[in-house]
Amino acid sequence: MDFKFGEKEERLRVEIRAFARAELSGHSVISGLEEEGRDEDWEFTMQISRKLSQKGWLTMAWPKEYGGQGASPFEQLVYIDEASYQGIPGTTMGVSGIGWVGQSLMLFGSEEQRKKYIPSIAAGEPDGVWCTAYSEPNAGSDFANIQTKAIKTGDEYILNGQKIWTSCAHRARWCWIAVRTDPGAQKKQHGISLLILDMKSPGITIKPIINFAGVHIFNELFFDNVKVPVTNLVGTENRGWYHLMQSLAFERHSIAPQFGGMSRKILEAIVKYTREIRYNGTTLAKDPVVRHKLAERALELETLKMFSYEITWKMSKGEIPIYEAARNKAYCDLVMQRLATTGSEIIGAYSQVDMWSKWAKVMGNVTRLYMMFPGISIAGGTDEVQKNIVGQFKLGLPRAY
Amino acid sequence: MDFDFNEQQNMLKTMARDFLVNECPKARVRELETDQKGYDPEMWAKMVELGWLGLIFPEQYNGTGADFLDLVVLMEEMGRNITPGPFFSTVAMCSIPILKFGTAAQKAKYLTPIADGKSIWSLALTEKSGRFEAADITAHAEFDGKNYILNGEKWFVPYAHIADHLLVLCRTEKAGSPESGLTLFVVKAAGRGVKMELIPTIAGDGQCRVRFKNVKAARSDTIGKKGDGWKVISYMAQRATVLKCAEVAGACQAVLEMTQAYAKDRTQFDKPIGSFMAIQHKLVDMLTDVEGLQYLVHYAAWMLSTGAKADLYISQAKAKANDVYQRVCVDGIKIHGAIGFTMDHDIGCYFRRVKSSEFMLGDTDLHLEKIAAGIGL
Repeated sequence: MDFKFGEKEERLRVEIRAFARAELSGHSVISGLEEEGRDEDWEFTMQISRKLSQKGWLTMAWPKEYGGQGASPFEQLVYIDEASYQGIPGTTMGVSGIGWVGQSLMLFGSEEQRKKYIPSIAAGEPDGVWCTAYSEPNAGSDFANIQTKAIKTGDEYILNGQKIWTSCAHRARWCWIAVRTDPGAQKKQHGISLLILDMKSPGITIKPIINFAGVHIFNELFFDNVKVPVTNLVGTENRGWYHLMQSLAFERHSIAPQFGGMSRKILEAIVKYTREIRYNGTTLAKDPVVRHKLAERALELETLKMFSYEITWKMSKGEIPIYEAARNKAYCDLVMQRLATTGSEIIGAYSQVDMWSKWAKVMGNVTRLYMMFPGISIAGGTDEVQKNIVGQFKLGLPRAY
Repeated sequence: MDFDFNEQQNMLKTMARDFLVNECPKARVRELETDQKGYDPEMWAKMVELGWLGLIFPEQYNGTGADFLDLVVLMEEMGRNITPGPFFSTVAMCSIPILKFGTAAQKAKYLTPIADGKSIWSLALTEKSGRFEAADITAHAEFDGKNYILNGEKWFVPYAHIADHLLVLCRTEKAGSPESGLTLFVVKAAGRGVKMELIPTIAGDGQCRVRFKNVKAARSDTIGKKGDGWKVISYMAQRATVLKCAEVAGACQAVLEMTQAYAKDRTQFDKPIGSFMAIQHKLVDMLTDVEGLQYLVHYAAWMLSTGAKADLYISQAKAKANDVYQRVCVDGIKIHGAIGFTMDHDIGCYFRRVKSSEFMLGDTDLHLEKIAAGIGL
């Protein structure tokens, strides 16, 4: 047993703090889930992405030949955790490119695809911004039920259908899309393929969906005879389901440090707030109920921290964590929900003040978390889906559905 | 960073698991709940042979010279098997303070017989309030010019009725803060004026009320200096709390495993009940609780072993242990259905032990308060 970080990781943490001090001064706080919302936030986000790339941090875990640093999982953990804690935007650039497209292409993309798409992601350029189109109106948790068709005609696929909940589509240059290439396949998991879609292709209609926080993250995508060159097929035709399973695993491991870092910052801000607010002749921080609630939240965050250490440690040994990532996602959702709830109870009536308002408390961060946590808990698989994965892969329970 | 135990710890773990499964099946655990002694002297002798009693003692006291983390590993296994007996009180609550604060003479006199299995110890700390608070200590000792004379009443003293020696926390000065003016005395359990009564607990785990009436203790029979009692207790509590949490983590792991096996085996509606999502998600919540607890305990143990300030992490582990032990047992029982509510089923043995761990060395409120202070509130 040894839970110490190396000198390299500790140094990295210090550098990231210095970067945050230099780059974020004066700019309002935006969390990772709204950076593609307002135009001014997105512009700032992309500026920071480029700077993160220049620092060598943006895709640090990638091999050097693909614009990474070959950084260890522990360095990456420290980077994600500290950047989230500091509120540095631009670390995910709309999530997909950095989150899974790059690594998936390294794993099962063609040499040509790697050369064409990976460098712009690693460089933090607008050309490296991707969205991911998996969900459809009738394919949510039952993701294998996708119906969007791509029929091969000569050296092109012709796309028709609809995607929904496509985050960042309005900012993305490319789309990582799952489509049905063999409508006659026996099992619905068979006959799915992965394609790279140029978002400038004719026949794509993007319709914004505004979430209840008032932020434009989601979109609906409609495809009307959209042409995709066959060279844009990723991996093997009709084997997309299996590629996707790997690609989803890339997504999940960073969830605990990302939201853990952000939540730790919010908890600290709430603690600070309770020390400043006077009530009943003393500060709120002296109230036993407030102390009790915040201690419970701190304990949950500490548990989440251990989960993010554990998954990182397993990755550092070359393991591919599956159930651990699902467990972390579900636990993370619980932690954020409780923190948002406790936080709003503490700031009281002010928790309903718009997060951008001059009257917002704690820089609107409690309200921001409160407005965002329900969405976060659904993105990347609902809690129920995550728990099904843990039940099946870790506890060896029979599939329920 | 490394979450794994080292080779020696893994060996200890395997050895302990094999030994306890064979020597202390649950039928024996249940028998011992109504046994007058509450422990099995034969099994105790074998544990002595395995070197468990003196695991962390230096070799000069017939110890093995292993370190604290090794003891954590052993406690997890003992907890997994809910092994009855005075191991925790002897090793965690009494040996640890003697090792740190005892004089050379005291160590030679007391530790060697413990390692050799010839002496059982317990700590008479808690009083009528049942709480772990310095302010609640009213047992007192006055110096009569020759000896200290101890008077007072202690509650929930584990296995005091079979102990050879007791450590007794007494107030030796009234003035000052609640933590000052306390002294820890060594008292012979069979000495004049010491009266034991077994408290009938839901776990049948040998907790006693001990009354002291004009009990004599020599001036030299203190662990630590006069007035340093709370300092000694705090040092002990840091380590013993982690060990108690390790015991709980092992117990929770066992409850999870038996429930998981039951859910796969038990058929209703022509299917194993583990195929129903309501059951699956409950089991996943149990797993998340148990893994979270294990990691927090290991983290606190490791922090302590590095010499870093570990109080916050210890309190996090204990608050978590209290919470998780209860919830895992309750959910486990619910998944088992009516069979889980019987005296014959093992899961109830765990459930009935939840409260004994929960209120030992600080309840959840006390540790949450320490966490609150630790995060700047």
